[in-house]
Amino acid sequence: DCFREPEHQRRLQSVGHPKMLRILLVLGLAAFCVAKTPVSHCCSAEDRHIVQKQWHTLFDYMEHSSKLKIQFGEILLLKLAEAKPEVKEAFKRVNIDHPESGEFASHSVRILDALDMVINLLDHPEALNEALEHLAHQHHGRAGVKKEHFKLLGEQLINEELPRVLDEYDLMSWKACMHGILSGIAADVPA
Amino acid sequence: MKTAVVVLLVAMVAAVSASECDMLARLNVKSQWMRAYSHGRDREHFAEAIWRAVFAQVPEARSLFERVGGDDTSSAKFIGHAMRVLAGLDISINLLDQPDALKAQLEHLHHQHDERHIPARYYQALDRALMHVLPAQLGRCFDKEPWKACFHDILDGIKG
Repeated sequence: DCFREPEHQRRLQSVGHPKMLRILLVLGLAAFCVAKTPVSHCCSAEDRHIVQKQWHTLFDYMEHSSKLKIQFGEILLLKLAEAKPEVKEAFKRVNIDHPESGEFASHSVRILDALDMVINLLDHPEALNEALEHLAHQHHGRAGVKKEHFKLLGEQLINEELPRVLDEYDLMSWKACMHGILSGIAADVPA
Repeated sequence: MKTAVVVLLVAMVAAVSASECDMLARLNVKSQWMRAYSHGRDREHFAEAIWRAVFAQVPEARSLFERVGGDDTSSAKFIGHAMRVLAGLDISINLLDQPDALKAQLEHLHHQHDERHIPARYYQALDRALMHVLPAQLGRCFDKEPWKACFHDILDGIKG
């Protein structure tokens, strides 16, 4: 929404206030939009397409090799568990204590595929919301799962993992879109 | 005599490899799936086509999907569900070459389906739906035998 300003600007200009004031107002609005709201609602159409395109290069590559897919998912979860040991409890059921097990491997892939699902639905807001609500419901009531875990997982993914494996990477677009995705999934868990 | 033996052997190998989900069949299925699965809206349409083909065969199966908008396959609610199903299939097909992880994934899916008491013919309808939608998606690059063999294994795993 932050980038859908032209109409608004035009209307401001037609009102006929001193030019300087108008420019200041527009600049102020823009600065407010960038600084105050942490880009959460600014997953614009262009952002979505950038994220989808960049994600596809990685995901398609991983689809060629299930081993890579497993390992990428495992790295995400194991790093999270390293930073927040309490999440190990939540992943006990999928055998996180034995990362080489089939249970943990398939669970890691399930998480990556859920991410793939929502990224592919970014252009279809109603279906995306349904998918996010379902994921939120699946995480609801899981002992020890908190919002901060999703935040950390997202930060690790966006700031560390993805830039390491993607040649083309737009941090701002990823930030803008992942914020909505992760807060959607974490909607029903405590802070 | 010798030729007859060779022909017989070749025929046997062909028969065996045609009906078995061996490693080559698995790799074949994986690469076909990757192309059919596609992205974004194309993937949504692929999913919807599969479910329409299912409901055309067993209309009464819709009642199982009431909670997820089964009365309207174009609804956002149902698309959300259909994408989850495809993701579940994507994982299973992807893991065809990782037996331990595949087993765990199929157990997970079995557990999710177990208490819904789904009749065997619904699974057959899904099987048949895929065998029709996949060639529509892949054209002549669709290879039926490995699909039949490997997808049966996956369905058996989900049925338990």
